[in-house]
Amino acid sequence: MSSPASQHEPLRYYGQPDPFGLKQLVEGWRSRELLYSFFLRDLLIRYRQVFIGVLWVLLQPLLSTLIFMGLFFILGAGNAGATFRYAPIILIGMLCWQLVNNSLRDATGSLVNYRHVVTKIYFPRMLLPLSSLLCAVFDLLVGSVLILPLCWGLGVSISWSTLWVAPVAAMGLIVFCFGCILWLSSLNAQYRDVGYALPFALQIGMFVSPVVYDAQRLLPILGHNWIWLYEANPVAANIGLARWAILGEPFPSIAGLITAYAITLILAISGLAWFRYADQWMADRI
Amino acid sequence: MMPNPHELAIHVDAVSKRFQLGSYSEYSRLTEVATQSATSWLLRKLGRSRASSSVSHSRRGDDRFESDGFWALRDVNFSVKQSEVVGVIGHNGAGKSTLLKILSRIVTPTRGRVGVRGRVGSLLEVGTGFHPELTGRENIFLNGAILGLKRSEIRRRFDEIVAFAEVESFLDTPVKRYSSGMTVRLGFSVAAHLEPDVLIIDEVLSVGDQAFQRKCMGKATELGTQGRTVLVVSHNLAAIANMCSRAVLLDQGLLVADDLPSKVIERYLATMSALDGVVHWAEDQAPRSANVRLRSISIHGTASDTPTPQVDIDAEIGVTVEYEVTTPGTINTVQILLKDESGIHVLTTANAPSMNAASDPSFGSPLEGGVYRTQCRFPPNFLNDTRYFVSVNLGPELGKPTISLDSVLSFLVHDTGAMRKEYLGSWAGPVVRPRLAWSTHGPLPSDSDLSGNT
Repeated sequence: MSSPASQHEPLRYYGQPDPFGLKQLVEGWRSRELLYSFFLRDLLIRYRQVFIGVLWVLLQPLLSTLIFMGLFFILGAGNAGATFRYAPIILIGMLCWQLVNNSLRDATGSLVNYRHVVTKIYFPRMLLPLSSLLCAVFDLLVGSVLILPLCWGLGVSISWSTLWVAPVAAMGLIVFCFGCILWLSSLNAQYRDVGYALPFALQIGMFVSPVVYDAQRLLPILGHNWIWLYEANPVAANIGLARWAILGEPFPSIAGLITAYAITLILAISGLAWFRYADQWMADRI
Repeated sequence: MMPNPHELAIHVDAVSKRFQLGSYSEYSRLTEVATQSATSWLLRKLGRSRASSSVSHSRRGDDRFESDGFWALRDVNFSVKQSEVVGVIGHNGAGKSTLLKILSRIVTPTRGRVGVRGRVGSLLEVGTGFHPELTGRENIFLNGAILGLKRSEIRRRFDEIVAFAEVESFLDTPVKRYSSGMTVRLGFSVAAHLEPDVLIIDEVLSVGDQAFQRKCMGKATELGTQGRTVLVVSHNLAAIANMCSRAVLLDQGLLVADDLPSKVIERYLATMSALDGVVHWAEDQAPRSANVRLRSISIHGTASDTPTPQVDIDAEIGVTVEYEVTTPGTINTVQILLKDESGIHVLTTANAPSMNAASDPSFGSPLEGGVYRTQCRFPPNFLNDTRYFVSVNLGPELGKPTISLDSVLSFLVHDTGAMRKEYLGSWAGPVVRPRLAWSTHGPLPSDSDLSGNT
C-alpha cells in the first residue's frame, strides 16, 4: 500500500441501492462545482447578445405588474388609490409565479436539450434541472429588490414584524418547484408529450393561483369551507403567505397551508425516488 | 484467474446489457407506453423463469436479437489491475461502445455490476458540453467541470490548457466562431489535462488528422506509464499492439479473448477475415434489409473462381458480393470500402455509372427477385503488400445503406516481386502502390530557343 491515493479507496460498484434517492443529494452536493458551472452557463447564455442584459430580470416582473395594474385600473372603475395598493400585491404574485413558470419551463427540457452530453458522460444528471431552478431563484432574488422601492413609492406600508416569513414562503415554493422539475425533466426525457403539455398546464396554473388577483376575492365564491382546498395548491398557499408576510394581507387558511406543505413534501421525496429510478435508463431512452 | 481485489482498478462482473428495439429510443407517447408496460408487466409476472434463462440461451452465438430486444453484451467478465493499459477490440456492433458506456456509468447494465476504483475520466467525445455561445475561456471551465475537474484545478492548469490548444488569441471569442479544428484542439486539450486514476477512451477521440491521433495515443500511453489505468477502444490495431499490455476481444456481445495484444489481434484478424477469403451466411443469420438478404462476400484473384485470402500484387483482385433480392422491384446499390490495418480509409467505390470503369445496368433499376452477384475488380499493381479490410454497404441509395458491414472480410496482398525488380528496399508505409504512367521527355529545347520562337 504505497503510492496513489486511489489505492486506499475501495472498489466502488455503480448503482448501489438508493430507494429514496437521498444518496443522489449527497452526490449532487459533491458535484456542486459542476452545478455552479451549469448555472453560470445558463445565466451567461441567457444574456449573450442582449443589449440591456441583466436589466431584463427587473423589467420582466415590473412590466407585467404594470400591465395588470392598468387592467385593474380600467376594470376597477378608475380608482387610483386602490390600484396603487394593488401594485405590490401583483408584483409579489408575479415574482413567485415567475419562479414557478421559469424553473418548470426551463428544467423540463434541460435533460433533453443536453442529451448529447447526457449520453456521452456521466455526472449527477439532477444538476441539469437544478441549474434551471437556480436561474429562476436568481431571478426571484434580483426581482425582490423591486418590492421595497415600489411600496415606498406608492405609499403602501410594509409589515416589518412578519417580513422574516417571506423567505420561508419562497423556500416552500422552491421545494415545490424542486419536486416538480425532478418529475417533469425525467418524464420528458422519455415522453416528449410532457414538454408539449407544460405550456398549457402553466397557463391554467397561473389562473388557478392568485397571481394577478388576491385570494380574498374568491372568499365570497368558495366560502370559508372550501377556500382551504384552493389554498392547498402550494403556489397559492405560498403566494398568500408571502403577501401576508410582506404586506400584512389576510393570512391564508391553516388547513390549506398544511395540505400545501404536505403536497410539497410528497412531491419532493417522490421526485427524488423517481429521478433515481429514471436515471438508470436515462441514457438509453432519452 | 480472479486477481486480488485490492489490486483491481476495474471489475466487470457478469455484465449483460439489453436494449429495447423500437419505440422507446424514439419519441414515445404516454398512452402507448401505459398499455405496453402493463402488458410487459403481466408477461414478466407470468414468464419470469423464461426471461432469466434467455442469457444463457442466447449464448449460442447468433440470437442476440429477441422479438423486441437486443443483447449488446452478454455475461461479460473481466478485471483490470491498477496501471494496466488494456485495449478493447472487436467488429462494429460487437458491444465495445456499450461496454465503455457502462464503465463510464452512462448506461446501467441490465444484469451484473461494474466496479471502479478512484476517479474515473471517460472520454467518449472531445469537447463534451461545449456551448457555441460561450467563449473559449468559459467553455474550458464548463467542459473541465463536466469532465470532473474542480475549478481550482482548471485554474491551475489553465495556461497549460490554452497553450496546448494554441488558442490564446481567441480566448474571449465565442466558440461558435472557432474553426472546427480549433474546437477539437481545445476540447482535447482540456481532456488531456484530466488526471484520473482510471481513464476510459473511445477511439472516437482520434478524429482529426494523423498528427492529432498520434497526440491522443501518445497521451494515453503517457498516462499508462504514470501508473494510471487505461482502457481504450480502437480499430487501430497497431496502436493497440504498441501501447497496451493486454487486450480483450468482443464478438457479438461476448468476451471471446483476453490475452496479450499480439495474440488477441491475431485472433481478431482470424475471426474477421475468414481465412479462406469468403464469408457465407446461412439463410437465418444473414445480414438483411426489408428487401435484400446477403449470401456471401468473397475475394478472388485473377480469373479464379476459388476465393482466396491472399492475392498477388500483380493480379487483378475481385471482391464479389452475392445477395438475394427478396422483394421484386427492389432498387439496390453496392458500395465497397477499403481500409488498411490502422483504420485508414483507402478508398470507396460503388457500382454507380460515374464511378464505374465497366458498366452495371442493375444500378438504379428495379431488380426481379432472385440471386444476384455484383463484383468489383481492383486493377493489378495498385495496392501495397499489406492487409486490407473490406466493408460493404447495400441499399436503395448510395450513402443511405440499409445493410452495412464494417470490415467484414480482409485479404492480404502478396508481394511477388513484380514491382521490385529495380528496388529491393521496404515498401512499408504507403497505403497504395499503384503502377503509374511515367515518362521523361528531352532534352527539351532550351529557354533561349523558346524566347527566340515567340
